[in-house]
Amino acid sequence: MGASGSGKTTLLHCLAGILAPDSGSVVLTTSRGPLEVTGLDEGGRSRLRREAFGFVFQQGLLLPELTAVENVALPLMLTGIDRRAAEQTAAMWLAALGLAGLEARRIGQLSGGQAQRVAIARAQTTGAAVVFADEPTGALDSQTSAEVVDALIRSTTDRGRSLVVVTHDETVATRCSRIVRLADGSIVDEVSAR
Amino acid sequence: MTALRLAWLFGRRSASARSTVVLPVVAFTVVTALLLIVAGGAQAFFSWTDHDAGIYQTLAVIALSLLVVPLIGLGGSAARLSARRRDDRLASLRLLGATPRLVTALTVIESTLLAAAGAIAGVVLNLVVSPVVGLIPFRGQPLGMSVLLGPGWTAIVIAGIALLAAVSAVIGLRGVILSPLGVRTRERAPRIHWIRVVITVGVIGAVVLIFSALPVIGAVNGIVALLAVGFGGSIAVLNLVGPWVLRLVASGQARRARTPRRLLAARSILESPKAAWRQVSGVAMTSFTAVFAGVGVSLMDAAGSSADREAQLLLADIRTGVLITIVASFLMVACSAGVNQAAAILDRRDLYIGLDRIGMPVSEMNAARSRAVLSPLRVTAIGSAVTGAVVLFPLTGMSLLISPLTLVTFAACLAGGVLLVWAALRATQPVLARVLAEPSPSL
Repeated sequence: MGASGSGKTTLLHCLAGILAPDSGSVVLTTSRGPLEVTGLDEGGRSRLRREAFGFVFQQGLLLPELTAVENVALPLMLTGIDRRAAEQTAAMWLAALGLAGLEARRIGQLSGGQAQRVAIARAQTTGAAVVFADEPTGALDSQTSAEVVDALIRSTTDRGRSLVVVTHDETVATRCSRIVRLADGSIVDEVSAR
Repeated sequence: MTALRLAWLFGRRSASARSTVVLPVVAFTVVTALLLIVAGGAQAFFSWTDHDAGIYQTLAVIALSLLVVPLIGLGGSAARLSARRRDDRLASLRLLGATPRLVTALTVIESTLLAAAGAIAGVVLNLVVSPVVGLIPFRGQPLGMSVLLGPGWTAIVIAGIALLAAVSAVIGLRGVILSPLGVRTRERAPRIHWIRVVITVGVIGAVVLIFSALPVIGAVNGIVALLAVGFGGSIAVLNLVGPWVLRLVASGQARRARTPRRLLAARSILESPKAAWRQVSGVAMTSFTAVFAGVGVSLMDAAGSSADREAQLLLADIRTGVLITIVASFLMVACSAGVNQAAAILDRRDLYIGLDRIGMPVSEMNAARSRAVLSPLRVTAIGSAVTGAVVLFPLTGMSLLISPLTLVTFAACLAGGVLLVWAALRATQPVLARVLAEPSPSL
């Protein structure tokens, strides 16, 4: 958590291997031992994001020309899985997030909350060990926001996966097990909420 | 005055201002230079006064008309580009309550200024390349500096380009003015009516009938008139049915796609089949014309193998003219594809950054972008050539038997053109690399 410009998104990008930090290191604990994310080259970080991480952003960053199910299936197809199998898995995730019947809709035909749940499904479809969410409820009303956070937690931490959320919304923060507060690029507070 | 003030605000330096300005200017530079080269070549023919001059002048007018249409298309796409690149801001202005008139005025001012700057740069480019163009031989001698247009005609070309930009900008903006939310959310998938196919089949059928009646018409003027009607009609319906065909092909590709690159490319085309067609429609006309010309030259070659030197020079010059037309057409398509793709990357930077976030390799993104242009290009080049072959059916077969080398040369030119467009697309790869290396902090 933190005010605008405090460095939340930059920290998230460093953790996810999108940005390389000027100093320090990011280490991911994997089944094959610790992996230094910051030691990987661009291709290696790209592969890590594809196979081990999932992302949910405020804007969703979904592809407007693809249907909901194609958006969710895309990360699986990128790992080489056959399209039919990928779309079956994607449809399962969409159904689990309450979007059954909307598979063939384009993103522009969905509400903000629905689009964000498509983004959550996309983040989960490869079985990502860690999901990074950057202001996932930033553009939603309070009720839809609560539903999206529910869906996000249900599909990640409730299944034994890790969820890292950047937010300035206290309501969202109270749903997390650990809250780190930033100010001017530094950690100023760290508490376990539950 | 409000429009002028807003145009000034939008035109000031910003993070993406350089690319926003440079891309349309480059497009207009190329349009102007090519237009001046083509018109200059035609002017050189019109300076001749001997008894064969009429034939060359007629052929020059045909080549000019063939190239002017795709040139206008490229100019239009450059203008729409400068308008489309501001879709988001203009749609936001509409949502804030700006009147359609203000939005229109703003875009027209911007597009016209950029077009004028590009046109002036195009004049300079033409001056630089004209010595090389002057080396092209016709009637056994290089054209020389007679390919340079005078100041009056040059000024008319600059004014015409600026006017074209203004009109195209107004047309390109209709979507924003009518439905600002539609532009912002891209919620509607475009539909193209099947009636276009019915009309096309009807016209092509009529053209085949007209051409089959040619042998019974004795008068040369009647034959020429019917050929012109048939040729013009075929070109017109190609433009009518082109987007529909591209949509049909892309629908099948989207259904069958097994890889992300194929899926993304097919969906990109389906997002706007008309835009995909606009980008490659110049090739449709050239490809169609190349079949006409190729068949004609082959048949004349066979008939005139024992002809005198002048007739043989004429045949060689027609072949040169057709090849120049094909090369110029592909140059325009390559420029159009390159500029449009570079702009599309900047326009949709959030999309590419999103794809990068989820781990899509850059090579896969580039392959998808390339496929989204080359697939319609292949469909267009082959489809138009086949249409030409069907229209001229018995003659096509004859010319293949009599003079296969001529048709093979034109086919090789078409293949070379596809490679040229591929190279132009490759040239936009650094733009994507830069976008991914410097994403907006908010993404």
